[in-house]
Amino acid sequence: MVMASKTTVLVIGGGSTGCGIVRDLAMRGIDATLVERGNLTHGTTGRMHGLLHSGGRYAVSDQASARECIEENRVLREIAGHCVEMTGGYFVKRPEDDEAYFQEKLEGCHACDIPADVVSRKELRTDEPYLARDVEKAIRVPDGAIDPFRLCVANAADAEANGARIETHAPVTDVLVEGDRVVGVEVEHDSGPGKRVHRTPGTTEEIRAEYVVNATGAWAGRIGDMAGVDVEVRPSKGVMTIMNVRQVDSVINRCRPKGDADIIVPHETTAILGTTDEEVSDPDDYPEERWEVDLMIDTLSELVPILQEARTIRSFWGVRPLYEPPGTGTTDPTDITRDFFLLDHQERDDLEGFTSIVGGKFTTYRMMAETITDHVCEQLGVSEPCRTAEVALPGSEDLGSLDDHMDSFGLRSPIARRSGQRLGSRAAAVLSGSDPNPVVCDCEAVTRAEVRDAIDGSGSDLNAVRIRTRASMGNCQGGFCCHRLAHELSPRYEEDVVREAWDELVEERWKGERHALWGEQLSQAALNDALWATTMNMDTDPARTGVDVDFAAFDAGEYGFESEGSSGVAADGGTRGDQ
Amino acid sequence: MSDAYTPDDGSGIDATTTPGGTEHTRDEYEPVEVFPTEGMDLRPGADSCYKCSTCDTECPVAEVNDEFPGPKFQGPEQWRLKRNEDTDIDDSVMKCSNCMRCDSVCPSSVPLSQMHNTARGLYVEEQMETLSREYIRNRILSNYRTSAWLASKVPRIANVVMNFGPARWLMERTLGVTAEREFPAFATWTFREWWADRGGPRVPNDEKQVAYFHGCYSNYNTPEVGKAMVRVFEHFGYQILVPEQGCSGTPMFANGMLADAERHAETNVEGLVEAIDDGAAVIASCTSCSMALRQEYPELFDLKGIDDLAANTYEALEYLRINEDLEAALSESEVDSQSFAYHAPCHARNQGLATQAVELFEGVEGVTATDVGDSCSGISGTYGWKAENYETSMAIGEEMFEHMAADEAEVGMTECPTCAMQMEHGTGYEIRHPLQVLEAALC
Repeated sequence: MVMASKTTVLVIGGGSTGCGIVRDLAMRGIDATLVERGNLTHGTTGRMHGLLHSGGRYAVSDQASARECIEENRVLREIAGHCVEMTGGYFVKRPEDDEAYFQEKLEGCHACDIPADVVSRKELRTDEPYLARDVEKAIRVPDGAIDPFRLCVANAADAEANGARIETHAPVTDVLVEGDRVVGVEVEHDSGPGKRVHRTPGTTEEIRAEYVVNATGAWAGRIGDMAGVDVEVRPSKGVMTIMNVRQVDSVINRCRPKGDADIIVPHETTAILGTTDEEVSDPDDYPEERWEVDLMIDTLSELVPILQEARTIRSFWGVRPLYEPPGTGTTDPTDITRDFFLLDHQERDDLEGFTSIVGGKFTTYRMMAETITDHVCEQLGVSEPCRTAEVALPGSEDLGSLDDHMDSFGLRSPIARRSGQRLGSRAAAVLSGSDPNPVVCDCEAVTRAEVRDAIDGSGSDLNAVRIRTRASMGNCQGGFCCHRLAHELSPRYEEDVVREAWDELVEERWKGERHALWGEQLSQAALNDALWATTMNMDTDPARTGVDVDFAAFDAGEYGFESEGSSGVAADGGTRGDQ
Repeated sequence: MSDAYTPDDGSGIDATTTPGGTEHTRDEYEPVEVFPTEGMDLRPGADSCYKCSTCDTECPVAEVNDEFPGPKFQGPEQWRLKRNEDTDIDDSVMKCSNCMRCDSVCPSSVPLSQMHNTARGLYVEEQMETLSREYIRNRILSNYRTSAWLASKVPRIANVVMNFGPARWLMERTLGVTAEREFPAFATWTFREWWADRGGPRVPNDEKQVAYFHGCYSNYNTPEVGKAMVRVFEHFGYQILVPEQGCSGTPMFANGMLADAERHAETNVEGLVEAIDDGAAVIASCTSCSMALRQEYPELFDLKGIDDLAANTYEALEYLRINEDLEAALSESEVDSQSFAYHAPCHARNQGLATQAVELFEGVEGVTATDVGDSCSGISGTYGWKAENYETSMAIGEEMFEHMAADEAEVGMTECPTCAMQMEHGTGYEIRHPLQVLEAALC
């Protein structure tokens, strides 16, 4: 059966750009629907290092981008305070790095209105004692860390509050074209529609729209193909390696023109090392190789030597949606511009009602969303102005008074602190939602109340709970909390749903952890395996495998007895069971 | 044993060295400051934890107090959740008794007690009111040496006053020092007075020298233990030095008074390192004192020679068992038949010394020493003296009391003076130090 529905604007892609666009549209009073094939942030947004650019990185090579970055950096601190940690950042010069480039970088920052000053080695190492002793100096800039998961979830939640419809786990299977006009899409709901609940039968839905926006980033070419237009995205992969603890509390950039493995971002409880830049042909299928991880650790150890012996908890790869206009012919992906492009397919391909947005950076997602929303409004004849730069996201309203009442929830201080930082202005409402309120994930200090709040927002999908709360993203990678998270789904969901959600979370955790199997993380993986496979019987549990167990085949054990007519087996618990 | 994590200095050599290693290399670019200035970053220590929770299952406080979150939370979890600007430490760290059993059971060398000591120091420095009853009480308790020094001037009066009912009632009401316990008697003649009176060492020997770290308790309360140490070591021909010394710092670590501890450590390191430079080994008769000099000093302080001190410190019995043929010496000895219920202090356990006394006395005709099990005595120095911890302390000690009662011995034995207090308090037994038994057998 095919469902049918209508919307004014349909946005494809639940990454930062898509979530930003749907919020902007909804705030301007336009009926909008967002469809995403996986969870929110499933694509590139969930696979980046979480840097809130100051713009310093582009201050020499791409000053237009640098100016946009510093402008949006200031905006996001205001509207998304609960997703941002203003760590500050440094461009660190080692003795072998070029002095002329250092000066160019400093002048570039000043030219782009990026606050920047030079700090001496002594000051630098006082602030960041784990930096190598022979670093020379650095340029200090207002880089920060931002949580892309919370940011997207907050954008989507605000869009919903303004009347938008958000459908995750709803891949687009076709773009509907009538004549020379795109009139909608066909999606296949994994379950539902609505919040994802495992084992709920899926449906196919035809969503007709006046306008369709393709915000699928590295996957934009595929959606383009469905509509019969060429979108020449050049996906480029990059590895990111997550360290167990923060060796640095500021963003550390290597001050040199370009190169792999030149940034460390302190992210929540961890530090993320990045990255590489290598073009791939398929954004869904590319090799994840060990040398890439080794390169991160070896190269960045030149800046922070302790990385060499520090614990890595996982690695992941993301795919940049690089784009350059046909005919530019850049060969090295690091040279492709980071600017974004709005491709109006009417102008470009004579196909009406359809625009793709490609390229761009996470930090400027809101600005990109504003540009494309302006464009869509122009097509629709809507004159409502954009307000996304002024209106705070849910969770970021009135953050000033937060600390004062965090100790009223009966949580131990580091747990209260972390919960408050994650929940922002929603803290009181969420944390008072469960009594008692035990800690479910010890590593990341996530309590039951926060987990239940996430389940309210995302159905039975534990990976969606994970990105909302950080539960299972810490040092044991879910070894001690995956089953507890699954337990929180019950009794709201039936056993088979819970088991499937649990398995899916465990699989996802393993996906990244398998790239860190040495040293302490290997011990961790062995312990997790012992807990999951043996204690919880997750590998061969008959309840999971569906195999009928012949209980009569078990021997009677030490206290076995011969019962009348039996062959010496005790399937009923033996003599003790009889008593 | 885990050493302090100090950032790499880029020289290829660890900035902190293993005991007995080279001096710290520092130059004008080295900005890393060690306690008490803030910023001792122990987050990297959390890398070693894979959450197995063995520490939580072995923690004696967690076993009897459901409110206590346990060493895994206090240590690696709390540190890992910290950001550089965060200074607040959860107040539950004051419920840790610093028995350090978590250190010895951790299969992955997480520097748990270092994390606890440092967090407790930060908590006291940043969050505890210096005019609060708790702070004043803890300061007085942890500076036991000062009280003991005062009392030693008028020991007889002190002994009467300190156990005078109304005075104790007042102490509990005003300071929160439990009135349930009896204060240990102060010696009328301290160990150092005795030592000076006898004219110092009676065995001169350039080849075999030990420097005795008697600590506060052997000096002010049980000089008979100190005297036993002197007689036993002189029996084996050692020249004994008794350098200037303060408190080892153990009660100060447990109360987060790290500045006090460091002040005493400066005196101790100076005097003891001088003796080491002259060829002596450092001997303690209290296992918490030797623990402090060996492990806590290098983990918490950065003083010249501190690693040498850690590498050259021994507990008295341990040193003799390594360097002398004690078994042969004892095989000749004759003592009156006697039995002891032996309790191994947690801090002895951490140094691998939990079985030394029982093993040693197996070979002595007439002496029976029975290990009463591996539980903690529960007093943990000043911990069990606090009114709010008294119940917890006795609940932890219950297992030991039962095992002592079940054994035929009616005399207890242990190396730790506060374990001895608890053993006596819980059973009414007289408690001996292994050195006293050794003295009776040899001298």
